Formats: sequence, structure tokens, C-alpha cells
Amino acid sequence: MNLGLKELRRRPGRFGAAAAALVLISVLTLFLGGLLDGLYLGSTGALRAQPGELMTFSDNSKLSVIRSRITPEQRSGIAKVDGVTAVGGVGFALVAATVPERSEPASVAVIGYELAPKGLPAPPVAGEAFADQSLESKGVRVGQVLAVGPRKLPIKVVGFVPDTNFLQQGALWTAPDTWREVLASARPDQTLPPGTFQAITVQTATPNDPVALATVAASIDRSVAGVRTVTTEDAVLALPGIKEQNSTFTAIIGVTLLVAGIVVALFFALLTLERTGMFAVFKAVGASSVQVFAGVIVQAVVVALSAFVVSVVLVFLAAAGIGDALPLTLVPQRLVSTAVALIVTAALGAAISLRRVVRIDPAAAIG
Amino acid sequence: MLLANREIRRARLRFALLSGAVGLLVYLILFQQLLLGGLLQGFTGALDAQDAKVLVYGAEARKNVEGSVLPPETVQAIRGVDGVAAAGQLGQGTFTMLAAAAGKPAEQVDASVFGFEPGLPGAPTRIVQGVLPAGLNEALASKEDVAKGFGLGDTVRTEAGGVPLRIVGLTENSRFSVAPTLWVTYPTYEALRRAANPNATAVFPSLVAVQPAEGLTATALAAKISSQVNGAQALTRAQAVSEAPGVAAVQQSFSIILGLAFVVVTLVIGFFFLILTSQKAASLTLLRAIGAPSGYLVRNLVVQVLAVVGAGIALALALLVGSTRGGGGGLPLTINPATVAVTSGAIVVLALAGSMVSIRRVLRLDPHDVVSRQSLGGLG
Repeated sequence: MNLGLKELRRRPGRFGAAAAALVLISVLTLFLGGLLDGLYLGSTGALRAQPGELMTFSDNSKLSVIRSRITPEQRSGIAKVDGVTAVGGVGFALVAATVPERSEPASVAVIGYELAPKGLPAPPVAGEAFADQSLESKGVRVGQVLAVGPRKLPIKVVGFVPDTNFLQQGALWTAPDTWREVLASARPDQTLPPGTFQAITVQTATPNDPVALATVAASIDRSVAGVRTVTTEDAVLALPGIKEQNSTFTAIIGVTLLVAGIVVALFFALLTLERTGMFAVFKAVGASSVQVFAGVIVQAVVVALSAFVVSVVLVFLAAAGIGDALPLTLVPQRLVSTAVALIVTAALGAAISLRRVVRIDPAAAIG
Repeated sequence: MLLANREIRRARLRFALLSGAVGLLVYLILFQQLLLGGLLQGFTGALDAQDAKVLVYGAEARKNVEGSVLPPETVQAIRGVDGVAAAGQLGQGTFTMLAAAAGKPAEQVDASVFGFEPGLPGAPTRIVQGVLPAGLNEALASKEDVAKGFGLGDTVRTEAGGVPLRIVGLTENSRFSVAPTLWVTYPTYEALRRAANPNATAVFPSLVAVQPAEGLTATALAAKISSQVNGAQALTRAQAVSEAPGVAAVQQSFSIILGLAFVVVTLVIGFFFLILTSQKAASLTLLRAIGAPSGYLVRNLVVQVLAVVGAGIALALALLVGSTRGGGGGLPLTINPATVAVTSGAIVVLALAGSMVSIRRVLRLDPHDVVSRQSLGGLG
């Protein structure tokens, strides 16, 4: 193992080809992962922040918050179901907002709420909003008054909140009446009367028990006509394109990692061939096949790790260069999972040289 | 090319691994091109497949059809612009439909509905079967969604309000937002909107579809409408497609990913043959010394590169055909032979370019080294 590391230090150029290929493959993997995370986080923040473990929609909306509507009567019915501890209405309006001193309007999601989502206080007074931090890059500041929707309704920003965007639009969290006013002014065909919401977030007495949650959800759907209740996680996955996005990107990342494994296998097979004589000498002086093989694996792991570190730097530089043009988000979990996947794949790829290492005859060292 | 073939036969695993890696990378490139084409067609096909040369959005919508609403006074103002030959209202909304695939019970399906005014701009153009809807409760569906219960003669129903729609015709490549897309008359669209929300106070069109007067270009008319009508943004049909939200970002993301994949292919092939050539330097020098011309050795190298790339492309195509048969998660994935041919050609060229260093190395082999260099068996 020690010899493997020493060889890496003395002859780094020998591993340059494998490292260069792995750097690019790792950049590709991180870029794909960053895009997937950016798309997912930017679309789902508002639902992930909901305080309830369950969400109720109208049963004819196919879990679309925009098309769903829950009447005050349905809402009271939900609140009375056994196991439900609190309910809160929530509604969304996707509009544009004019930001002071900016020529380009910002795309915003005005969200009316009753129960405070994670990271938010109770609803602000009418005409005020907590804005998602992403809107800062569009020039939004605390204290500013935004002109929202085609009727330019004034909404004052009173604070910021992280990671609550909806369908790639910056969230403006408002009192229900403010949201209802924006919705009616922007989309007369989607006007909702007072007390009616698009969805209900439901808190239960058993937030961490999936079986109990399923029972409460079924009870709500049985007791209240015209509604469908799912876990908040399922509501997130029901957002348009989220499931398809996840499966497509995950498949592409999987194939990319497979390529990484094959590339490592290829280059280490060549390197092993090149070093057959050297390995024969090692064996002749008493090294076992396991020791020689361990050295090869350590080299693959170090090469993969180094390539990963370089690729992280490159991807961060690229992300800084790209700016807001692409929804590229690099989260720690993605970095860790990519590093682990790359190292494991590299080790497995290098293991393909095991047969050749075992077959090396120590006698070959003397001709 | 006896030498090239013999070497491949003797080192099957090595060459199989390289062909496998190249095959997977080419597959990644081809699959992502397929995905990109399907996505763009599915996102904006409807905008491209209607007959108006200019589409007018609400200025607030930022070129997003789903976010666009035009109040009656704006529609009137657009109609009054000098150079507008004809203008039709175009409504767009997403509705939950109940559709029954053959032999299956009806299921909820999200469908995008476009409402157009017959006889005015904004009507669908790519009709492959049946007729344009003319009356209430008639719809034109996409042939891509026939299997989902949107076949000719089928009746689908909106979940909210229960409005029935009978499919009287089929279009192709006319979908929107990667969902089943229906074209109905504007009164039907209004009826769907009102049925979905009885509290609706009014139904405004999403867009106004405009045809320019003779002698006026679409670009000129779009500029005129944008500057003269407050709260309106006019785009040519091509702009509406290419500048739709997300289209540029999707294209840019895929360009970066595809570019990286092309570089990886070139690099892997280049490095592989470089290492191989270095390892064989002694044998190749010996061959040169006993009379093998450089051209012969280079041809062997090129044959091996082409064999590896050929096997890789064959593997990629097999995987691609398998993927399209498996479905594209709701996207119609159709292999375009021209794209496959261009990509394969580019891979071959890049592979040969990546092997240039190895070729140069072969050309620079000096037969005299056999007798002068100890590492090659000479006396030193």
C-alpha cells in the first residue's frame, strides 16, 4: 500500500491520463447533479416548507395547487377528523412584480398562508410580504414596495426567508387576503371567494409515524367529500415534471459513473500491464498478491479523490461564471454522494486488474 | 491490417473496455440529444404549430404563455394597430381531464387546452387526421397521446365541471408543456374555464394571435405592437418558441453537458492509444528496423481507432433503440437518423484527432534505436 502511494508521489505523470479523464467525468457528474438539485430546490421550496405533514387538495385537481380549491366547509370538515391537530389554508398566484429602480420585472409566486411555514413567522399584515432570499439577486430589498401583477398591487417587503421558491419563481409570503386580491387581479378566471384556499396543510398528532399518517389521510378523504390527501413529500413529487426530472437525471448520472468505472478499469489495466515486471520483482522479494493489489486499489482511490477535488473547484468556478442563467445549485450532500460514488466506482474499476496481478509469476523477475 | 486485428484479438478485454466506455459516452450524447429535441418539441410545439405569424403576450408575463392574460381593452388596442390584418384571441389553460386508454378505466390526466377563434389567426396547422373543431365540445388532440385515451372519436371530460370534449381530429408535434394538448374553439375554452371555477369573474385570452398586413414583416409588426400598446409584448412565432421561459436554459445546460461528453470521448480514446503506443514503442521500432514502413504502422493504429469507435457507436445505437422502446417518461423520443449520423461522424473525427499524438509518435520512431538504445534491445 505504501509502495502504491510512493509510486504516485514519484511518478504522478503515469496516472495523469486516468486523472484527467476522471476530472472531466466528475465535472460532468457534478454539473448534472447541480442542475438536478437547482431545478428540484427552486421548484419545491414552498411545499417543502409547509408546516403540516399532510396536504389536502380537491380530488379533481390531480394534486395541482393551481387547479385545486378547498371550500370553507371542506376545511372545517378536515379540521374535525381524528388525529388532525391543526389546519391552515395555502394558495399560490404566479405573477410578475416590478422592482423599484429595475427595468426588468421579477417572476414571483405570491403565496397566502395561515399556518407559518418552516422559517417564517405568522402571516404579515395585509399588503406586506416576506420574500424569498433569491429575490435579492433581482434587486429586492427589505422596506421596498413592489408593484405586483398586471394591476400593480403594492406589496411591501418586510423580511427575507431562505429556500421557499415555487416553480422557479421567487416566493412572496403574504396574508391570505393579499394573495386572494393578487390572484383575482391577475387571473379573473381563477378568482376565489373569501375562506376558499387552493390547498390545506394538515398537522397531525403523529407527525413521525408513516402508518398513522396514512390512516389520518384516508380518514380525511373518507370524511370530507371531494378531497384528496397525501403526505407533503408526495405533494412535492406531484409538482409538474419533478418525478420525470429526478428519474432522467439520475439515470444520466448513473451512466456517467459507469463510464468513470470503465475508464478507470481501462487505464489501470494498461498501467498494470506496464508494471508487470516491477510487480514480479515485488513478488520475488516476498510481497503477496494482496499487498500488490492493495497498492493498485489505493492508487485508484487517490487518483479518483484528487480528480474529484479538482472537479469541485472547476464546477464552482463555472457556477460563478454562469450566474443566474442556469439553476445550478451545489449542495454538500451532492458533493459527498458524488465523491463516494466516484471513489467506489474507481476502486471497482481498478479491481479488474486483480486477475493479472495474481497471475504475475515472481520467476519472471529473473527472466 | 493483420497486425491491428491480431492485437485486438490478443487483448480483447482492453479493447472491449475501451469500446464499452466509448459506447456509453456516445449513448449519453445521443440520448441527451434525443431528450433535448423531445423536450423542446414538447414544450413549445403548440406555439410553432399555429398559423399566426405574431403572438402578443401580456407584458407582465415575460414571454410565458401560462402567465399571460390580456384584458379586453388591450385586445381592442392590438386590433387597432395599423398593419394588423387579422387578430384572434388565443386562450391557454391546464385542466385535469378524465381519459380512458383502450381497455382501461378512465384516469386523471393533465392536459393543456388552447382555445382559438375559427377563421382568425391562431388555429392549429399540423392536422394529420380528422378535422378542425368547429362547434362546442369538440377538440383536436395530439397523435402522440392517442394511447392515453385521446384517440379520434374518443370523448374526454374535464374533472372540474365535467365538460365533455369529443376528439374530432389529431395533430402532430403540437404539444405544449410536455403534456397532452387539446385545441378547442374559444367559446369551448371559456366554458371549460367557467366550469372549472364557478367563481370566475371573467375569462380573458392568454394571447392575441396576429397576422400582419401585406407588405409588413412579422418582426416589424411585433415591434409596432410592443411600442404602441401599453401592457403588451409582441413576438414573432420563432421568437415565441426560442424565447419561451426555460428553453434557453435547457439548451444551454444540454450544450455544456454534450460538450463535456464530446471532450471526454476524445480524451479517453487519445490517452488510451497514447499509452498503448508508448508501451509498444520497442516492438514498433523493431518492426520499422526490419522494413515496415511508417505508413503501415499508422494505418494499423487508425484501423484500431476506427474499430473501437465503430463498436462503440454500434453499442450506443443498440442502447438508444432500447431506451426509446422503454419510453421517455412522457416524452415522445424519436431517433433522428440525421442527428445520429452527424454525431457519429463527429465522434469518428474527434477520435482520430485524439489519436494524432499517438500517430505522431509512431511517425517519429527511429529504426536506428534498435541498435543504439539499450531500452530497445540495442547495445547502447
